[in-house]
Amino acid sequence: MIRIGYIIIGIAVLCFSSGAASALERFPPPEFEGGYEFPSTTTPHPQQDIYEYMDTVVLLAALSLASYLVLRKRSRRAIFILMVFSLLYFGFWRKGCVCPIGATQNIVLSIFDHSYAVPVAVAFFFLLPLVFALFFGRVFCAAVCPLGAIQDLVLLRPVSVPSWLESGLRLFAYVYLAAAVLFAATGSAFLICRYDPFVAFFRLNGNLNVLIIGTCLLVISVFIGRPYCRFICPYGILLRQLSRLSKWRVTITPDECVQCRLCEDSCPYGAIRRPSVSWPETEYGRGKKRLAILLVLLPILIILCGWSGSGLRKVTSRMHPTVRLAERIYLEDTGKVEDTTDASLAFRATGKETEALYREALNIRANFGLGGWFFGGFVGLMIGLKLITVSIWRQRTDYEAGRASCLACGRCFKYCPMEHARLNKTKEALV
Amino acid sequence: MYKLKCRLGIINIKYFIGILIGMAVFIAVVAIIRLDITGDKGSGLGNEYLYEIDLSVDPNLILYEESGESMKTGFASTHAIALDSQGLMYIAGDKAVRIFTESGKLLDEIVLPGVPRSLTVADDGKIYVGIINHIAVYNRQGKQLASWESLGDRALLTSIAVSGSDVFAADAGNRIVLHYDTNGNLINRIGGKDEDRNIPGFIIPSPYFDLVMRRDQLLRVVNPGLHKIEAYTFDGDLEFSWGKYSTSIEGFCGCCNPINIAVLGDDSFVTCEKGLARIKIYDPEGAFVGVVAGPEQFGVTAHVCTTPEQCQSGGFDVAVDAQDRIFVLDTIKNVVKIFTRKKAG
Repeated sequence: MIRIGYIIIGIAVLCFSSGAASALERFPPPEFEGGYEFPSTTTPHPQQDIYEYMDTVVLLAALSLASYLVLRKRSRRAIFILMVFSLLYFGFWRKGCVCPIGATQNIVLSIFDHSYAVPVAVAFFFLLPLVFALFFGRVFCAAVCPLGAIQDLVLLRPVSVPSWLESGLRLFAYVYLAAAVLFAATGSAFLICRYDPFVAFFRLNGNLNVLIIGTCLLVISVFIGRPYCRFICPYGILLRQLSRLSKWRVTITPDECVQCRLCEDSCPYGAIRRPSVSWPETEYGRGKKRLAILLVLLPILIILCGWSGSGLRKVTSRMHPTVRLAERIYLEDTGKVEDTTDASLAFRATGKETEALYREALNIRANFGLGGWFFGGFVGLMIGLKLITVSIWRQRTDYEAGRASCLACGRCFKYCPMEHARLNKTKEALV
Repeated sequence: MYKLKCRLGIINIKYFIGILIGMAVFIAVVAIIRLDITGDKGSGLGNEYLYEIDLSVDPNLILYEESGESMKTGFASTHAIALDSQGLMYIAGDKAVRIFTESGKLLDEIVLPGVPRSLTVADDGKIYVGIINHIAVYNRQGKQLASWESLGDRALLTSIAVSGSDVFAADAGNRIVLHYDTNGNLINRIGGKDEDRNIPGFIIPSPYFDLVMRRDQLLRVVNPGLHKIEAYTFDGDLEFSWGKYSTSIEGFCGCCNPINIAVLGDDSFVTCEKGLARIKIYDPEGAFVGVVAGPEQFGVTAHVCTTPEQCQSGGFDVAVDAQDRIFVLDTIKNVVKIFTRKKAG
């Protein structure tokens, strides 16, 4: 009953916050008002630079503190407090920008467009969480990411997601990452930033559809822990892979696992791996054969997906404004549409040649064709690897936090009797 | 009963969560589908937000008719028209002023050092040309008599009026009217925002800012951003104003209209609007009288400007001769159209 009360309160809070956000100005103010004078152009105030560096310092401090709290202090309460701070600072105060998730696109664009320089702060935002993941696991997800924090706060009645469904849904994050890289590399759009579902809450402003998506994700987050982090976040993919290699990582127990099974259902993110025995003899042969087939099929899958990705260039290239403009001009010039758009009128006002525009658009489309191979190939590779992973039997003797999927939230600590023994010892030592 | 309640309770909460998640997923999917990824759907605002005005002109309100053929100026771009007391037409365009007879015969051409934006011919025959940021004075033979001091990079002289020994120039760039003597000495600045004198200041969103002199010795200055014509004394006092914003034919619409004005023999005003190209007549008190010509008479598609380039250009100029014929300089086709009042009955 109390839980239902929490849920109702949570939903009421969500409705209230989304209502406030959608009630913002939806119609631009009049362009001309009496006595209005256009302000003179100003250069960015020096304080803004200081903020950028301050953000980097705060990020570094928060990551360091999160690592300490997760690995040494093992305090869920402290992690929670740091998480709330991160939500307030990086989310509501700094309006969700810069964020490491979006910074991925800046890095990609700088690689493909040499005229684009990545600000130092953005580079640090991209790299620092990855470096920490390499050493300490996903401590960024645990207590520093404002997107994770806002979902974590509304998790009131967690339900488990079947592992097959979890694995399947996670593929979406790989597709999203590949798409974000493709569109950033071609200079078309920063997909992750444009469709960030929670930034509208942080800014109390945004596209209505994105706001609806964000609200839906928060509603889902009440029951399914951090759906964006687990199934959508493209940066999470990078963190997952580096976390697999991490030198130190979260352990459920501070000592030896006594296999009491108390922690078994404690993780709302389905990141606890149960002990498993070795493969049954009967399964081994079949599994081996299946693995061999999948390994043979992997290159075929990559090529097939790559070919499909490249074939989609007509569709994907429409994300680029030049291609859209060229298509629009073509439709207008051939009489297939009668009206004009602001973009087509503005283009005609420049006096540029239509042929030059078409050539540029075709070049961009060709880039999408090439990029589509990588996009599709990557997705194919990930699907193939996912199938292969399912076919590999992993032997575990203890309950473990999944190396890749553990978000280091620290919820499982209190379920472990060894953790209670450790805390008692600490208390006694203090007394 | 208790058992049933418990069962229902268990079932309900499971269903409740499942339905809630399902609904959230469904709504999110719909929102994703509705995302305007390519930006083709526009603002998404309903028709109630559309900027719709009645672009047609009631034929019964049209009091004038075009006489004769349109006269070609031969310019690639035109800016201003003026008439002298002998009925000769002066057209400013490209980098020259061309002088035509009423029949359209080119008499002379005065080559200018820059692009002329305004033009007037004084009673003594001197031609005052506003060349971007300064005034140059020429005689009928094309000899330059004077070139007044430049008003700086920001200045854009869009109208000149001469009354005896006083010359008034409208500077759209600095949003001020300059009062000179005929020797080019600056006497006064008129129309700057001054709350103590109840002067609102000129609002000039596009480079159109006109003025005319009337027989009552009050200068009439268009304040296009306020959709008004204001009357000033030579000392710069605002006496009165008229004009109102309206999408109906009686008012002026758009960001900034009217853009040019002229005065008829009975002291009525001829106003010229851009965007929705309309030439209209108002009586001396500012009451709407009728229409000289609408978009159809100019053969242009009636439209509301959508790009900055469109909004900043396409403003026609207007002049009136001694017979109250109205000369309209079509700056899109670079021709002059002459309109005469329809005969009664």
